[in-house]
Amino acid sequence: MVLVVSRLIRATPERLFDAWTRPGELMKWWGPESVTCIGAEVDLRVGGSYRIGNRFADGTVVWIAGEFELIERPRKLAYTWRIEPAAGAAERVLVTFAARGADTEVSVRHERIGDEAKRKLHEQGWLGCLAGLAQYVGNG
Amino acid sequence: MSSTVGRHAAREQPLDAIFQALGDRTRRALLARLAQRPAMITELAAPFAMSLPAVSRHIRVLEGAGLVARTVDGRVHRCALHAAPLRSAAAWLQQYRRFWQGSLESLARYVERR
Repeated sequence: MVLVVSRLIRATPERLFDAWTRPGELMKWWGPESVTCIGAEVDLRVGGSYRIGNRFADGTVVWIAGEFELIERPRKLAYTWRIEPAAGAAERVLVTFAARGADTEVSVRHERIGDEAKRKLHEQGWLGCLAGLAQYVGNG
Repeated sequence: MSSTVGRHAAREQPLDAIFQALGDRTRRALLARLAQRPAMITELAAPFAMSLPAVSRHIRVLEGAGLVARTVDGRVHRCALHAAPLRSAAAWLQQYRRFWQGSLESLARYVERR
């Protein structure tokens, strides 16, 4: 399944692309408020890999890793996405930075959700809360 | 995936089977209908102007993912929604959505501050 999340941000595409790809910067913003980025490694080239460490509010640590497939500064970035130590078919993330006047529309398209890694994480109880049935089915 | 009389799909189904089942618009609509109340296959087919074999095929995929339970009474096939796996899948997508929305919020705060 595919998930698309977008936001308009007051900054240039270049500024945002760099914030997304420089380890020092990534560590300062990566993740929602409840998540602390505990490490970031980025080898920014096609075929290069990245790793981002996430500490959740309950103390759980998860490392997200993958390889870059597409690097078109400042407009597009695509990379595979898996949660270590998963080795199965990876998911894919495409991030686009589209100029909108003084703002940039940052759009994240997360593809192939629901693979082997997620099954294992689910079993480990990584997911905490439950969403309403009606809400999901209604959003089909 | 066979559908023998009175058989209910196993409770712990792999998430990828669930997501595959949910990846079809018609199947999501069938689930929405079953979320209201159980139905016979013939009842399900009518609003979609779809043939019975076509609906049956979709229901088999949903059964395979553990989302629908079928009971057979004589010639009547009755389907009911099995919600537990769907809550897992919904929870999964919700977690992802929140993660990305939260990340973009953090990114905005970070760049707009400097």
